[in-house]
Amino acid sequence: MSTDNSQRNAISIRNLVVDYSQRRILSDVNLDIPMGQIMVIMGQSGAGKTTLLRCLLGLKKPTSGSLHILGTDIASASLREINKVRIQMGVAFQGGALFSSMSVAENIQLALREHTNLDEKTIEIMTRIKLDMVNMLPAEHLMPAELSGGMTKRAALARAIIMDPKLLFFDEPSAGLDPSTAAELDQLIITLKNTMRMTIVVVTHELDSIFKIADHIAVMSNGLIIETGTPQQITASTNPEIQGMLNRKPRETIVDTDTHLRRLTGGV
Amino acid sequence: MELTLKSETGFDLLALSGEVDMHFSPKLREKILGTLKDGKPLLIDMAQVSYIDSSGIASLVEGFQTAKSSKLPYGLLNISTTALQVLTLTRLDKIFNLYSSAEQFKAQVTTHAGAIQ
Amino acid sequence: MLKSIENIGAIVISSLEQTGRTFNLLLIVFWELLQPPYRLYPIVRQMYFIGARSLTLIIVSGVTIGMVLGLQFYNILERFGAVDLLGAGVALSVIRELGPVMTSLMVVGRAGSSITAELGIMRITEQVDALECMAISPGKFLIAPKLVAGLLSVPLLTMVFDFVALFGGYFVGVYMFGLPEGSYMNGMTDAIEWVDVRLGLVKSVIFGLLITLICCARGFYMHLGKAGSQGAEGVSSVTTDAVVMSSIAVLFSDFLIGALI
Repeated sequence: MSTDNSQRNAISIRNLVVDYSQRRILSDVNLDIPMGQIMVIMGQSGAGKTTLLRCLLGLKKPTSGSLHILGTDIASASLREINKVRIQMGVAFQGGALFSSMSVAENIQLALREHTNLDEKTIEIMTRIKLDMVNMLPAEHLMPAELSGGMTKRAALARAIIMDPKLLFFDEPSAGLDPSTAAELDQLIITLKNTMRMTIVVVTHELDSIFKIADHIAVMSNGLIIETGTPQQITASTNPEIQGMLNRKPRETIVDTDTHLRRLTGGV
Repeated sequence: MELTLKSETGFDLLALSGEVDMHFSPKLREKILGTLKDGKPLLIDMAQVSYIDSSGIASLVEGFQTAKSSKLPYGLLNISTTALQVLTLTRLDKIFNLYSSAEQFKAQVTTHAGAIQ
Repeated sequence: MLKSIENIGAIVISSLEQTGRTFNLLLIVFWELLQPPYRLYPIVRQMYFIGARSLTLIIVSGVTIGMVLGLQFYNILERFGAVDLLGAGVALSVIRELGPVMTSLMVVGRAGSSITAELGIMRITEQVDALECMAISPGKFLIAPKLVAGLLSVPLLTMVFDFVALFGGYFVGVYMFGLPEGSYMNGMTDAIEWVDVRLGLVKSVIFGLLITLICCARGFYMHLGKAGSQGAEGVSSVTTDAVVMSSIAVLFSDFLIGALI
């Protein structure tokens, strides 16, 4: 089944397990991410989203399982093979992760300089095209320290898409952004999918964004994917935990008064 | 990517086919700039282009800028909807001269030739 | 009781791990350096940061130490009626010992600590991850230029230190104590042999490599440290560690090299 789908799926995750110092962070994760779609991976903090993302990026080697990205199983691949896949991937990290000693333009161009032999002028034009796409052309020569939160995110996005990657990853894209900037970013993500045919994976917990941009949603809790489906399907889910997340209710731990009292007072 | 350069009356026609990506765009750039350097108006036939990435677009843009400063007519012929979408995303659709037939371009060339006389 | 043994064991294990990682980093970087493309500019840039920025400090401390040596040696030699050995005394101690050691310690404080902090901050703000995800090796891009620059800069700075220190001693001997100029200079040139210069050179190269390696490793591997030591506090803690460990490494290897060569 998995080999058949590898043509239609950009990413296929099978039986992924990640242990870290005797704790199981991810238990048997299975997920398919179709080509040219936006998949949102959502869940509370500590659900394992970040670990899953790091596995997808090749930054963490899983304890067991397979992770097929654009045909290569990066869970068992060598660094060289992983790097070949990475050239087709773009990543926008949560804090932007812009290189502090380089200007915005230099940040964006770095991958071009390292991996291609393109002419200087071509690199310059490509950089400006991407900057214009994210509305950051005036910031071309600024240093990362001079950027606001929203500008940082946009610069990071421009950097992520400089090589026209097939696969784009976002780690909490709306974190720290005001609603209107977040909405702009959401729109950009959708446009990128439509125009540049990118497969986009977004890890987030921002509900507003999720339902605006997602084609598919995977809900994680406690190291497992508890449900996948379209936004409509997820909204209609009968799973109480999911309903809790959607209704923005704080996690309720049903505990009896005695236990709760004891916890608060440290016992008698 | 395949490149064919043909000399027409008063201008050069550069026909592209296949995928224009980072491996091939330097060749494209070289051909475009070379033709413009010879002082010939340039029409680029994009009908057979299945995919063009930003390095390809950058070469087209650079060509346009060079043509403009040399006051040479420059245009794109029969651009596909996908390529047009990409140009729209990068706000370049309004900037390029887009043609649906070589005759349209020829008309521009004759006007231009008349103007220099 | 058992807990303290466990704790000691944990400290020993983590120290060994750290040493192993540091040495491993050297091997990784050495391997990466052999891969094309070969770029000179990042190395030059790092040499500026490490070398040129430390220059003033080296010159000031060099002159001062030279003067102190001149002063102290004169005092001591006078008791034995051997003041004409001043030139020799200052020169030999500077070239064999104080030049390499003092230069390295100054560089650790000036450049080494900022290298650790820089790499540490890059690590915790995911900049290192970003490099890896762009299929760029952090070993080659970030660390290799620093290592090569350290390897080249420290010996060069040591030569500067030596030069100004000898001048400092000269100044004290000739202008403060009225030693004949020729006496100092001849004392110097008579006493110094190739083995002394070679010793100083070998030390400065090894120290340069050691301090850069340790400072890079501390910052770069910050994320593998104790869970509580991340963030700003973590950066400050690894930076202090790096300075302490590099300094100890310099002093310890100073003895080893001196004993072996």
